Amino acid sequence: MGLDYCAIRSKVLRARKLVIRGTAAAGSGHPGGSFSMAEILGCLFYKHMRYDPRNPQWEDRDRLVLSKGHAAPGLFSNMAVAGYFAESEIDTLRAFGSRLQGHPDLKCPGVEFCGGSLGTGLSYSVGVALAARLDSRPCRVYSVIGDGESDEGQIWEAAMAASKYGVENLTVFLDRNFIQQDSYTERVMPLDSRLGDAEEISAMWLDPDRWRTGDKWRAFGWNVIEIDGHRIEQVDDAIKRARAHRGGPTIIISRTIKGKSVEHMEDNPQWHGKAPAKEMVPIINAELESQSIIAPSIIAGDMTNLAAEVVRCAEGRADYIHLDVMDGRFVPNKTFLHEKVKELRPLTLIPFDTHLMIEEPHRHVRQYVDAGSDIVTVHAEVTDVDTFGEISDTLRENGVGVGLAVNPDTELPEWSLGFLPRVDQIIVMSVVPGRSGQKYIESTHQKMARLMPVLRDNGFAGYVEADGGVNLENAASVFADGARAFVGGGAIVSTSDVRASIRGFRQAVATARRRMLLDMADGLGGSDLVERWIDLHVVGARPAEVRTIAQEAGYVAR
Amino acid sequence: MRTAYSEALIREGNRNPDVVVMGADTTDSLKTSKFGREFPDRFFNVGIAEGNLVTMSAGLAASGKTVFASTYAIFLPGRAVDQIRNNVAYPSPGGRGGLNVKLVASHGGLSVGPDGGSHQQLEDISIMRTIPNFRVMIPADTVAVSALTRMMASEYGPFYMRMARSKTPLVYGEGGDGSGAGAGATGADTRFEAGRANVLRDGSDCTIAACGITVSMALEAADLLWREKQTSCRVLDMFSVKPIDGHTLEKAARQTGRILTAEEHNIIGGMGSAVAESVSESYPVPIKRIGALDAFGESARDAEVPLLLQKHGITPFNMAQQAGALERLPER
Repeated sequence: MGLDYCAIRSKVLRARKLVIRGTAAAGSGHPGGSFSMAEILGCLFYKHMRYDPRNPQWEDRDRLVLSKGHAAPGLFSNMAVAGYFAESEIDTLRAFGSRLQGHPDLKCPGVEFCGGSLGTGLSYSVGVALAARLDSRPCRVYSVIGDGESDEGQIWEAAMAASKYGVENLTVFLDRNFIQQDSYTERVMPLDSRLGDAEEISAMWLDPDRWRTGDKWRAFGWNVIEIDGHRIEQVDDAIKRARAHRGGPTIIISRTIKGKSVEHMEDNPQWHGKAPAKEMVPIINAELESQSIIAPSIIAGDMTNLAAEVVRCAEGRADYIHLDVMDGRFVPNKTFLHEKVKELRPLTLIPFDTHLMIEEPHRHVRQYVDAGSDIVTVHAEVTDVDTFGEISDTLRENGVGVGLAVNPDTELPEWSLGFLPRVDQIIVMSVVPGRSGQKYIESTHQKMARLMPVLRDNGFAGYVEADGGVNLENAASVFADGARAFVGGGAIVSTSDVRASIRGFRQAVATARRRMLLDMADGLGGSDLVERWIDLHVVGARPAEVRTIAQEAGYVAR
Repeated sequence: MRTAYSEALIREGNRNPDVVVMGADTTDSLKTSKFGREFPDRFFNVGIAEGNLVTMSAGLAASGKTVFASTYAIFLPGRAVDQIRNNVAYPSPGGRGGLNVKLVASHGGLSVGPDGGSHQQLEDISIMRTIPNFRVMIPADTVAVSALTRMMASEYGPFYMRMARSKTPLVYGEGGDGSGAGAGATGADTRFEAGRANVLRDGSDCTIAACGITVSMALEAADLLWREKQTSCRVLDMFSVKPIDGHTLEKAARQTGRILTAEEHNIIGGMGSAVAESVSESYPVPIKRIGALDAFGESARDAEVPLLLQKHGITPFNMAQQAGALERLPER
């Protein structure tokens, strides 16, 4: 079974937008802590938890206990996406008479725990897990606790009890976002180590030598797994490992970013408990929809040592590993086939973005699924309505993302339009495939201008991946065209410092995104709204950087 | 009382495989450890961690268990009120009020004795009866303990039962079968249902409403009143402080014209307050409350406990005197 990466990612996006919708409608609520746990809840709701929205009290269901109850909008939005109630009900969040109370409440069927008073959800989870064990039920209990609420002594009372009673059906996520109501956790009550007055909280993220939280839980007898809580592949893997663990409970210490995916909320304690203004909602939604993916292509590196290239990309924190499979028939040269994919798979958890530049892909796609691909993209030039349908079914059944690629000379074929709502990725080639080191074909910009409306009109909810000659210079314009995933060959893998190159790419794309959002603010509310948008940014260098972009673009005076 | 509780729990454990018992390092004292020996899988001792005790109980109850959680009163309402309110009383699955957790405390009131004021819980009735969905029971003797344990096990929802530390004289007579039915020593109709008061002795000139250890004192006070002043005193066992038996109280007010309450609890918010609230709305008559006068307790060795109680006016003599001194509203 594949990772289901694309499905999870798109539902996490839907849920995040519902959080914004609900809190904006309510005029209060906690978006920050809802976003820090978004990928955690995504992996639980859309892959690992067993539940039935039509029968919320099903006795063998898995239980999700949200101990950090103030993140209720995050829970409710996922419940809506999962089908417990209509998404429109999120508009009643915190309203008189609504089932969607300010904090999770059993008034809403499917909610397992009345959260709100912090520090108690773990004890409750231990009780639920013990009851399941007494009744020999197969259900698992998943619990999400906050780092702020870890100040409460009862968390540690429960930690001891869970350890004593060896509740192996309990998996706890610590949403380690480093922020509590007053300030950074490491200022209010350090869990890792005390933060200096002049330090940004990102210092804690970056320096593993200062992390102590895992040691605390290990000392309490827990199985401890530490991950980046925004990496779907890491959350997924951690859950699998937790489920395989025997003899005691597991805690997955998930380092996260409060407000993740909305720049002005990220790492900003102000967004612990504050709702976005209604007029900002469209801009925030646009920001959520334009999160980008950096996908280094390893064939731009040392073809005789692809394993080393994968490791370099993984250490460089790539989002995907882009694997160009060439068969010497669809394109003039050969790279590698599924055996190589399989061989590389154990090197990293990072999703494999397998791009099949091969003839008759429908005859081979299964091999690439079995080799461990997370997304498989086939070319429109060598598929038709029947073979693509077959490919799409195979991929979907196996939890693998579905991609369709078009060469520079190819337009999106008519037969593909009906598939678009269920396609996860469109690769738009901006070089002729088969040779590396080519320059970006400038007419791709016009092609993108033709393509984007077609995608939108046909219900496409995935993202466009730009492939070929994308570099730091043109990344902004490629982003502006609508691409959200970027294959980097020469511009990333061929460089000596892959990590720095990826960071540079992210910055280039982030700048383009900031500009796009400023442009949107200008369109919606002129310089007044632009000013207010800029003022939302308060952490670190962001306010100055955003203002500079706005000034350069002429939205505000210098 | 603790022995009666322990035996009743084992009966419930045999009757219902979903009965679970939780303790917090006082399980030998409360004798719930016997349940643990009988049903090791269904007994959890969480150590000195009362918050965890209450919330784990809530988690077990949310999954269908009938949970009895016990420790000393001072550490239950006295310590874990947040967990009691938010984790037990507040969650209402399918519209049913609260989770199925029975908090049973021993060491309620001044009669705790030697441990002193830090351990004498005088606020629990007040705390517990203000929390929605909770029902509050105060047994007068071992017969009542057995019967109320049975009742709580068979009725859904959160309960608080407050027991005294020391031995209490039997009010309901021997042979309590735990069924909650049957005639006690007084020959009166005594049943242990939530929302009911037992009329232990009929009377027409005044009423004493008591709970816990003050019930037997009230019977003595009634004897005194009759002997000394030929005053006919009705005695009510207000074992169910919440819900309170408004009907029986109203009848007592109407027929006896004055009510004295007595409890080993702060007079603010306790059983006396509950009686006053009820009567003042149904049939106002003069009321006098006996109890701790907004004060804490202090150490008293076992033999000296009557002295401690006396300091707060909790004696049959004072009850008789105060009841007799109350102005009586004539029956209308």
